Amino acid sequence: MSLHSEKNFLSPSTRVTRRDFLKWSGIVVIGVGASGFAAKAHAGSPACQGYLLVDTKKCQGCMTCMLACSLAHEGRQNLSLSRIQVLQNPFEKYPHDIMQIQCRQCIVPACVLSCPTGALHIDHDYGNVRRVEESLCNGCGKCIAACPHTPGRTVWNVAAGIAQKCDLCLNTPHWNETGGPDGKKACVAMCPMEAITFTTQIPEQTEAGYRTNLRGKSWAIMGYPTDESSNAHSVVQ
Amino acid sequence: MYGYTGKMLRVNLTDRTTAVIDTEAYRQWGGGHGIGSAIFFDLVKDKTISGIDPANVMTIMTSPLTGTLAFGAGARIELQAIGLQAYPLPWFTRSSVGGRFGAMLKFAGWDGVVIEGAADKPVWVDIRDDKVWIRDCAELSLWGTDTMQCQQAIWTYVAGASCYGDWITPLPSSSSRTTQRPAVLAIGPAGERLVRISSIIHDSGNASGQGGFGAVWGSKNLKAISVIGTGDIAVADPKALFEARQWAIENFTFPLDAIDAMKSMWATLPSNLRSFPVPLIFWKKPPQSRPQACFGCQAGCRCRYDDAIGNDSSCKESGFYQFYNLRHVAANAVGNVIASLDAAGKKGTPVLDELYDRMLPTTQRQAADMVQRYGINAGELEKGIPYLRDLNKMGVMGPGKEINTDLPFHKLGQIEFVERLVEIIINREGIGEDIAEGFTRAAGRWGRLEEDLKTGLLNCSYWGLPMHYDPRVSLEWGYGTILSDRDINEHCFNPLYMIPMITSFMGTGQPLPAEAFARLYTDRMVPFQDDPRMVDFSDDNMYSESVARLVAWHRRYTRFWKHSALFCDLQYPDFFNWAAQGYHGITGEGEPKFFNAVTGAEMSFAEGIELGRKIWNLDNAIWSLQGRHRDMVKFPDYIHDTPSPWWGTFYCPAYTNGAWEYVPIGKRSLDREKFEQFKTIYYQLEGWDTTTGWPMRSTLESLGLGYVADELERNGKLGKDVERVS
Repeated sequence: MSLHSEKNFLSPSTRVTRRDFLKWSGIVVIGVGASGFAAKAHAGSPACQGYLLVDTKKCQGCMTCMLACSLAHEGRQNLSLSRIQVLQNPFEKYPHDIMQIQCRQCIVPACVLSCPTGALHIDHDYGNVRRVEESLCNGCGKCIAACPHTPGRTVWNVAAGIAQKCDLCLNTPHWNETGGPDGKKACVAMCPMEAITFTTQIPEQTEAGYRTNLRGKSWAIMGYPTDESSNAHSVVQ
Repeated sequence: MYGYTGKMLRVNLTDRTTAVIDTEAYRQWGGGHGIGSAIFFDLVKDKTISGIDPANVMTIMTSPLTGTLAFGAGARIELQAIGLQAYPLPWFTRSSVGGRFGAMLKFAGWDGVVIEGAADKPVWVDIRDDKVWIRDCAELSLWGTDTMQCQQAIWTYVAGASCYGDWITPLPSSSSRTTQRPAVLAIGPAGERLVRISSIIHDSGNASGQGGFGAVWGSKNLKAISVIGTGDIAVADPKALFEARQWAIENFTFPLDAIDAMKSMWATLPSNLRSFPVPLIFWKKPPQSRPQACFGCQAGCRCRYDDAIGNDSSCKESGFYQFYNLRHVAANAVGNVIASLDAAGKKGTPVLDELYDRMLPTTQRQAADMVQRYGINAGELEKGIPYLRDLNKMGVMGPGKEINTDLPFHKLGQIEFVERLVEIIINREGIGEDIAEGFTRAAGRWGRLEEDLKTGLLNCSYWGLPMHYDPRVSLEWGYGTILSDRDINEHCFNPLYMIPMITSFMGTGQPLPAEAFARLYTDRMVPFQDDPRMVDFSDDNMYSESVARLVAWHRRYTRFWKHSALFCDLQYPDFFNWAAQGYHGITGEGEPKFFNAVTGAEMSFAEGIELGRKIWNLDNAIWSLQGRHRDMVKFPDYIHDTPSPWWGTFYCPAYTNGAWEYVPIGKRSLDREKFEQFKTIYYQLEGWDTTTGWPMRSTLESLGLGYVADELERNGKLGKDVERVS
């Protein structure tokens, strides 16, 4: 087995294809015209008023964001319950060694559209965040199957038998901070690399996800790459 | 039970059975090393067995903080067993590994793994949440693979029809999902072939190096342990844990954007909470790279690169092969100039950049990958390669020489030399058969041990192990090592002499007057906090009761807070901290704050130190049962007869002529007789028999270890009880 022979880590087959991306991810779909399903959905789906942005190239793989997410929401440390995920392969080449993924709060939220009970809904009272009302979730898993991204951004809580997803920290009973679009987000606050940020503007998108570069002067002083012109390619977020 | 999962996995390789040990039964020991020592004591009836005896038990323990947001304490695991490396007796010893294995073990629902017996053929252990399989290596052809190949094969096997990069379900019978790869501990060919200087490796750059534990696994026919978990770690007070982490960040670290060259240097000294992900590597970092951190760490100390060579290796692995090739030395010098200019905000160094690119040394990174993949202890090679080189220069070693070998000394500094050296070690070919036993035993086989330890040609300064910090200068390191089982590799007091040394060299003045600097340390060193001369390393104080207290405190602090609660050695204790108010680091307040937030306990810092004393006494009891006696606790001759070469380079606070001042220390040796007197003082302080060094019943019973005293007595190893000197 060669050093980088493993084809299933960030391989093309696991990435969101351009077609998938255009179909589901956001504003682009509006311009190009989408399937009737998506177009119909868009008509009733106001954009979220906040988005997490992650700079995968700045991630150090410490998983602090995942620990913060599960602790703030669930009061437990549990990687599988984190609504933000960090995947890594220590034998891979930078920047393909780490993939940091977050819920994109899609303009056309397939998860919301797939939910038969209304549990996964757009919360108009809180910045149109796409979130789960856990008391309504029947555990059917349709939202998990519907998420167009790989890996899916909806979390399966085995013990509770329900789906969960990023709510921009609206419901964080185990953290003494106010979350939501106007508040703090545990992953942003706790990331020691400042590799996660939040914006109220609909982010610019590429096939690699929401475009962002959080590697500023401090990154350069430490001798790490700060620009996009290097041979370091973005990965899907 | 908060912090703990509540159960430990007991694996008997002989009959291929597993069982559960209730963590509650051992919780009084705190975690990590304490639990490991206690289990070892209970399960290994004859402590005199060899490290390769099937009855040898290895414990792999987490702490209640592993897998949590506890600052600098989320990652490490503690491995313990009778080792193979130390000389003349391979003690019951320990090693520690970072990365993500410990966290994943707890997410699978296990506080630790206890390995006993030996399989009849090579096996690996497959842990997926609460399900455990002991599998033959043959199915995946694992035996004979290097550690990377082994881990990748296991990853693929565990994923089954799933693929990484997506959610996988490790147990087909459950809907539990994860995006993570299994965390694997694996041995390489060196461990399989019972090389005494073999390691256990996790991911690409985490090594359990000391002790020769790779060969302990090899003797058990154990190739790897893989774990993947999808469960919880319960936290007693999540809000308090958040607040503690935020408090630590705000009060004891610099903001990322405040970085400059000076802050970068200060905040990355060992035993100092890390502010910046500046790696601890001894090669110039290739520009296309990122920092990489252990689980939950706020500032990684290693890197990943765009060629993946040397990924995650740091410290010893990165530095063991750096001084043999002028081109490398020059390239590193150029690289450091570039880095300095970058740090000063000066751009436009294309000439230097091009020069560096042409000289860019990958050899060190390739060499690091060699030892990680084949599973060899880089620390042994760091001192062993110069020894081979010197023997070659002396005309003793080489083709057709007294010590015959085809090692390509003309390629020293190039990767070909390391490749050949590793090859002969793992194949036990020629002098590789000798080196596989460790360099001290190799010197014995070559008839050179006595002579080369007289002169120091063989730079193995304690228990036949390669010198790390010089015991003639770094007293806490040297004394602590010879009174324990291994190169302690605890950087707790490095800043005590590094900071004055650096500031003196730079001419910037000391941050604090000498006495204030000393007391910044000693005021928190309970129960000896009234004695600032504990950190006086001057010539007049080298063998004092104060230094005995220093050694005692150091052993106790590390045995609990560092080895059991598993706070990272690079960051704790944090006495002096440039980012903190009045330089007053987090130690004393921070450790119990995190421990209590996670566990719900109300442990004080001092209670942790006292628990460390109990663990330290249990360890000394085990060594006594193994055959340790005061008469064995000796440094080799060169430590006594040859002054260290460090004159003028070490500064430390000292109390001289009735006042405190910073003084240079360094060029000195240890006096035999005075060191013997020191041992007596130390044994009295610990309540151990000054004639033998064995623990006394009164001491053990005062710690609740009467059953340990009973076993010592049955074996004729109980110290004679005398009235303790206060």
